[in-house]
Amino acid sequence: MTNSLNDMRHAKSLIFIGSNAPEAHPVSMQHILHAKEKNNAPIIVVDPRRTKLAAKASDYVRIRPGTDAAFMMGLVHVIIKNGWEDKEFIRTRVAGFEEMAKVAETYTPEEVENITGIPVEQTLRVAKTLAKNRPTSLTWCMGGTQHSIGSSITRSFCILQLVLGNMGKSGGGTNIFRGHDNVQGSTDMCILSHSLPAYYGLSDGAWKHWCRVWGVEYEWMVGRFKEKKWMNKKGFTLSRWYEGVLQTEKIHQYTPIKAMIQWGCGSNSNSQYARVKQAYDKLDLLVVVDPFPTMTAAACESDNIYLLPSSSQYETSGSVTSTSRQIQWRQKVVDPIHNCKDDYQIMELLVKKLGFADEFYKNIKQVPEDITLELGRGSLTIGYNGQTPERIKKHMENWHTFDIDDLQAKGGPCDGEYYGLPWPCWTEDHPGTPILYDVSKPVAKGGLPFRNRFGVEKTYDASGRSEDLLAAEGVYNPGSEVEGGYPEFKDVVPGTNWKTDLSQKTIKEAIAKGMAPFGNARARCVVWNFPDQVPIHREPLHSPRPDLIAKYPTYKDQQDHFRVDTRFESEQDPELVKEFPFVLTTGRMVEHMGAGAETRSNQYLAELQPEMYAEVNPRLANDLGVRDGEMIWISSPEGSKIKVKAFLTERVDTKTIFLPYHFAGILQGKSYVENYPEGTAPFVSGESGNTVTNYGYDIITQIQATKDGLCKVAKA
Amino acid sequence: MARVKFLCDVERCIDCSGCVVACKEGHHVPVGVNRRRVITLDQGKPGEKSISVSCMHCADAPCIAVCPVDAIYQRDDGIVLVNKKTCIGCGYCFMACPFGAPQFPKGNVFGARGAMDKCTFCAGGPEEDFSAEEKRLYGQNRIAEGKVPLCAGMCATKALLAGDADVVADVYRHRVFQRGSGVNAWGWSKAYKE
Repeated sequence: MTNSLNDMRHAKSLIFIGSNAPEAHPVSMQHILHAKEKNNAPIIVVDPRRTKLAAKASDYVRIRPGTDAAFMMGLVHVIIKNGWEDKEFIRTRVAGFEEMAKVAETYTPEEVENITGIPVEQTLRVAKTLAKNRPTSLTWCMGGTQHSIGSSITRSFCILQLVLGNMGKSGGGTNIFRGHDNVQGSTDMCILSHSLPAYYGLSDGAWKHWCRVWGVEYEWMVGRFKEKKWMNKKGFTLSRWYEGVLQTEKIHQYTPIKAMIQWGCGSNSNSQYARVKQAYDKLDLLVVVDPFPTMTAAACESDNIYLLPSSSQYETSGSVTSTSRQIQWRQKVVDPIHNCKDDYQIMELLVKKLGFADEFYKNIKQVPEDITLELGRGSLTIGYNGQTPERIKKHMENWHTFDIDDLQAKGGPCDGEYYGLPWPCWTEDHPGTPILYDVSKPVAKGGLPFRNRFGVEKTYDASGRSEDLLAAEGVYNPGSEVEGGYPEFKDVVPGTNWKTDLSQKTIKEAIAKGMAPFGNARARCVVWNFPDQVPIHREPLHSPRPDLIAKYPTYKDQQDHFRVDTRFESEQDPELVKEFPFVLTTGRMVEHMGAGAETRSNQYLAELQPEMYAEVNPRLANDLGVRDGEMIWISSPEGSKIKVKAFLTERVDTKTIFLPYHFAGILQGKSYVENYPEGTAPFVSGESGNTVTNYGYDIITQIQATKDGLCKVAKA
Repeated sequence: MARVKFLCDVERCIDCSGCVVACKEGHHVPVGVNRRRVITLDQGKPGEKSISVSCMHCADAPCIAVCPVDAIYQRDDGIVLVNKKTCIGCGYCFMACPFGAPQFPKGNVFGARGAMDKCTFCAGGPEEDFSAEEKRLYGQNRIAEGKVPLCAGMCATKALLAGDADVVADVYRHRVFQRGSGVNAWGWSKAYKE
């Protein structure tokens, strides 16, 4: 989130696209409804389903799954056509606007209606509502990201906010809600295959930086790998790790994957779950570290699996980062009970057994405080260095002194600081940055310009035009020595920059000059290192509109895409819709969480939502001869199928089937419940929605495309 | 003396059932017995509305009037409670209640017999405050601890208000004024054309 949950209280309008906050983020609703009530802020909800959030909306926009970018570019089109864009913001703080506007020209409201199904009048009305009620807070969630063009879709959201001038403003921003209490923290630590912690990437420089932080020799680290080149190569992703085991797709690695550790991972959140299950059976070693056995324990049918019971959050402590970039300290309530151990103990035993405890624990004597300190000292890119355990704990203890509206402590021991020291918190006396890219405040007081990351000038491929990438004259944070754009700080300590200077002299010098360590630049509408430099619509791989494939085809097939070949073009078959006529999309329900291992094991939540189901429009059900509560088979183009109960509701339209994805225990009609260790089966079992979610992955991130597949439905 | 009331602000209720689960977890209410429920009307259609409902602790409670053994009584603060040791489980209160609040033990189709259970406003029961017997029969006694009921305390959007009726009314009145006029005011779209 560029802003915070609390700051959404200041929005004059709100747009949600691919987000169903009452089910996925119920607590956020108090701030959203506050904006609605206090500011009379219109709430626009864009979703294939008339969700519980739509019930609170002033305008509900039903959109065909996977066409979000077309709608956004359509809004941009209407805004520019009416002269509603924020011209001064664009002139001074945005790059590549003209090139982007050229692309938006083709997304007329009529074309948007053809692609998305949203009536022309509604696109016009939404554009006007946003233009007349600024600032707008824009929120997206997995509904915006889990598509083969997810990276373009999310960029189109940002572009809309840039065009409206809503960035860096209280009540505005791009506010992406994260799934649980520490998803932002795990993202910041880059528990991913393509980057070291804090978005440093996998370059030699990144490895050397972190080796310095960890206090280990770089050469020793190189020696841990088969060859040095593997250090710099993106690994398999969570979405497709099983391809490395099954090897039915071409993999680009010297060995198949032989062992797997799932640490706090609800595995049935993986698409194509039937294939995931095959991989379990083929692995030499499968380890599940979790308070609950998870579906993995039941689905794996070979004797290669070990379950390590870990403690719950109440049996351990440590720092966690919230969706608003705030760091909080989680206190331990009781020692781990029964036979479980906390994650730190499990990690320690593992590290000792693997024989590198000396290197691993160089800076870590006191757990977990030293861990927070070490990761903070290295994570300079995102300013994690100012949030010491002492400061975090002080904030927790003085919770009541912070203002609910702007998160700032008014008096008391934390006077002037923002709750949770939202990153970047550049120094140990910095108050935290409550709103990113806000040039109205000094950097030392939580202000920030846009980051300079992609050079200082660019000649665009599309137009041949050259543009200065730094912010225009006159745009700077109060007190800045340079009264305009400036590049990132480097060579304050020779050979280092603000990201790699562990002495933090560079950062301190920048702050002392009233400037941001990462420079003062423009936000880009054109990303020249992506296949689509400006976001455009591309039909989902499995499209219900074969007539649009020629005009909006997907990408070329990708080789060595996170170590495995990924099909795009060759997967986009215009004939597929004839056999699989309905769009399949998935989502959350409020009672269950993620893969559901925990919540389906709670008797009261199980009582509230005891059964897997598929949402089917009553009209479609009548055409298919299916009554409410009858069982149906839903089949995917990949050949997997699930048997679920039909739940008739007008939440979905007549072309769309919706599945919640929290259930597990039954796979393609066969129950695996008896495979759980004795006494550990959840109260509620059901087919996993992800057994039938389709093939398809984002071109940049390889996130699975679970929101816009196709399926067929038959009475069971 | 203050009289307690619940109020569920339907503009705020998001149908998350947090109140239901807070109640059940907090009082260890058996599965199948619902002291509180969220009701949704027109689910998935325009105008969808949700409301959280439990015993309303009526000022002139029909359940008290019909109880043949006088097991149900009202405290001075308005909280309506049942004495489970007196209750004969006849179900008259269930027939009289306008909200379907009284609950009975679940069992086989005809076999469920036992004392009535319902929302206590988190005020325990006639047994001694904080006694093991009170906890076993009625759950926690948060009112004696000076706390609001669990359901309202848990409510993410503060849709569900509970406590002194005057304070609840003030909070709600403040909200109604704050909503004021403009696009979200009731009747605005009928009165004005944009």
